[in-house]
Parts: sequence; structure tokens; C-alpha cells
Amino acid sequence: MELKELLKKVVLLGDGAVGKTSLTARYVVNKFDDKYIATIGTKVSKKDMQLTKPNLIINLRMMIWDILGQKEYSKIRTASLSGAQGVILVGDLARPETVKSLEAFWIPEIEAAVGKVPTVLVGNKCDLADKGSMAITVLESIGQNLGYPTFLASAKTGENVENAFATLGEMLVAEVVASRPKGAEELPQTLSEAVDFIIQDFCAQYGDLEKAMLIVQHQFEEAAVDIRKPSKDAVLQALEGLAKAEELSLTKTVAAVNLEERQRMVILAKG
Amino acid sequence: MQRDVKIETLIVMSMCVFGALAVTAFVVPFEDDNTRIFFVGLAAVLVSINVAGFFTVWKASPTIIDEIFLMTPDGRLLKHYTRRLKPDQDDDILAGMLTAVQNFIKESFEEAGGKLKEIRFENYDIFISHSKSIVIAAIISTKKPEKLRTQMRLVTEDLEKHFGHKLTNWAGDKSDLVGVDIIMKKLLAGKYR
Repeated sequence: MELKELLKKVVLLGDGAVGKTSLTARYVVNKFDDKYIATIGTKVSKKDMQLTKPNLIINLRMMIWDILGQKEYSKIRTASLSGAQGVILVGDLARPETVKSLEAFWIPEIEAAVGKVPTVLVGNKCDLADKGSMAITVLESIGQNLGYPTFLASAKTGENVENAFATLGEMLVAEVVASRPKGAEELPQTLSEAVDFIIQDFCAQYGDLEKAMLIVQHQFEEAAVDIRKPSKDAVLQALEGLAKAEELSLTKTVAAVNLEERQRMVILAKG
Repeated sequence: MQRDVKIETLIVMSMCVFGALAVTAFVVPFEDDNTRIFFVGLAAVLVSINVAGFFTVWKASPTIIDEIFLMTPDGRLLKHYTRRLKPDQDDDILAGMLTAVQNFIKESFEEAGGKLKEIRFENYDIFISHSKSIVIAAIISTKKPEKLRTQMRLVTEDLEKHFGHKLTNWAGDKSDLVGVDIIMKKLLAGKYR
């Protein structure tokens, strides 16, 4: 099981007072007061998500930039948009003009600044809009034309807020998942190959190569693993120690999944 | 070796040497004035040497960095290093807001061109060093940052050389940053080149 840590910048855009800040507040960890949007044009929040794919766990950290919605402040907006890898476009379903301006103003603005990036459309304040209203029809038509997932949400009730962010999260990691080699995974054949693979895998997931190697060395010494001619029992014992270290550096779930995977690898290895 | 000597130790040593020789020169009843002048002169020379030594060590000693933020120019935090634990501080959000503040200042003073290089707040100085794909912000609460500026520039250049190609249009995969710690810890210790 491979573990990846991804850090993505996501920008919330839309006309003033459509509810961008309220949507963010519903969903994220905030450390700064909302007044920063009015004073410097931006407020940054973050949200961590864990996505599980076949043989891959992705810890996704979304840095969410809530940007002033007044159209006049184009320079600040362009600077804040820089490097955005995902966008949430928000319109107010109670004010159809804010939905129309998504297509007329915001989408061209984003494409000029960062090109085509994963985007979701959110019609906020759905609790105030009638089903089949003009704003909903326009929003869904924009989404359909451009292929953007569309959500009717309410920051007030929380409806669909989580879904909108989660969908964007999935879109952000889609490239990583798609770029992984397809087909059967090549598993190590011999016990020595398995040990080598486990050491590399442990170090890659631990992050700090130097420390990771020290832990491996210590656990292998404790379990009396002879690296030139390892025995299955000794390696299995060392794996328990590595899992304990991973419980501290990663999470208990990831450590357990890794342990199981590695045990299977060792048991099936020849030699 | 020279850097390991504490300034306080040198001050105490200087005072002791001066004190001992001053006592010898003025309290001990020498038979002639020449001997007394010799001791006073010796005291002055030794104190001068100590003061010069103190100044050299002080100049050579590194600036103490409290925190370093290694970021992308779009505000994503790559790494954070600190000497103090700050449980209330969210480093990712702080890095983002620091970038937002830089954007705001840059746009507000557009005619001046360039980038924000320094922020001062009470006892804290924030030094910022930029390259095409890396931004380093160092927070210090001590003075004498001249060497730090040079070191930060060198580190920024070296990181750009080694990681720039990965960080231009960076997909956000933190495994691209293996090896950054070695360079940054040297900077944190004030021992970068």
C-alpha cells in the first residue's frame, strides 16, 4: 500500500455576497478572522481529506483561498489565483445575475489566469430558491456545457457543502491515480527482494530518509535479521517493530494496512 | 570551535583579567613607578585582546533563526522548521496568509516594482528571499541579520537549482522534496556555506 501526500491550492470565486466565506466556514479549519478578506482581499483556510484508492492512500491537503468577490479588484485576484489547481465557482441561487456572471466573467477570468483546472459549480442558498428556478436552470446548463460537476448547496443548512469539496478533491487526485502504472503490480519474488522492497517502501512513506533508515536498522537488529540471508521469522518480527514506528509517524490504519501487505509479501516470498 | 564560545563567557573572562591586573597594579605596593606602569599597560593590552576576541566571535556567530517557512510563490507550504512549539499556529494557513499579504503589498505599491523582502513587527523580523519557484521566510528575534540575508540568498539559489524543475507547475506531491531537509537544517544552524 503506497501513501501519497498531496498539497493543492483551491480557489473560491464568485460575485460578492454569494456565500463563499460561509461555505468555507462550514467546511474548513479557520485560523484567521473573516475581516482579512476585506482588508487584504484574501483569506486562507485548509481542509485535509483522505482518499483511498486501490493500493494507494492519498492524504490530500486543500489550501482554500477565499478571494474578494468584487470584480474591480482584478490585480489582487490574479495574484491570488496564481498556482490554483482547483476552483469552486459559487453563485447565489436567490440572485440569478450572480449565476450568469459565472460564465460571463469568472470562467474566462480563471482560464486567462491558470488555464483549465478542475472546477466545480456551486449554487448556494438552495434553501431560498424554488425548484426549477431560472438560476438553477442556468447553473445546470453551464455545468453541462463545460462538463463541470454542479451542486445546489446551502451554507446555512450544510446541504451538499461536503459533497462539493469532496468531488473537487477526487478531481484533484484523479491525475495522480491515472498516472500510476496499470496492470498487475510486480511483487518481489525472493525474500531478499521482499526485504529490499519493504525497506524502500518504509523510507518513502516515512519521509525523512535518514531517520527512516535508523529505525529500519534498529528494528532489524532487534529482530536479529541477517540482511544477507534473512529468515522469514526474523523479518516478520521486524515488521511488527516497523508498524509500531509507522503508527506514530503515519496513522494506525495505514500502519496496519502496511503491516498486512508486507507480511503477505514475506510469507509468499521464495527462500 | 570559535563559534562554540559563548559571548557571556568572554565578557566574564575580560572582566576577570582586567580586575586581577588592576588590583595587582594599584593595590600591590610596587617599589618603583615603572613596574606599576608595566602592569597597567599589560592590563590594557590583555583587555584589548579580549575585547577584539569578543568582537570577532560575536561577528562570526550565526543569527538565531526562530522559524523558517519554505513555500512556493503561490503560497503552499513545502516545509516548516521551528525552534519553538506553537500549538495555536497553523503553519499552512500562516504561509498562505503571508503570501496573501505579500501579494497585497506588491499590488498596492505596483509602481515600486520588486518583491517584499522584509517585515518588522516589535522584536520580530521576517526576512523573505525569493526565486522563480521558491520563497523562504525566516523569522528572527535577534539582530545582526547581514550574514543571514546572504545565506538565505545562497540557499534559495541552491534549492532552485536542485528542486526548481520539480516545483515549476508543482503537482503538490511532497515526495518530490526529499533532500530539502539537509539544506534547510544547515541554514537553521547558521552553517550554510
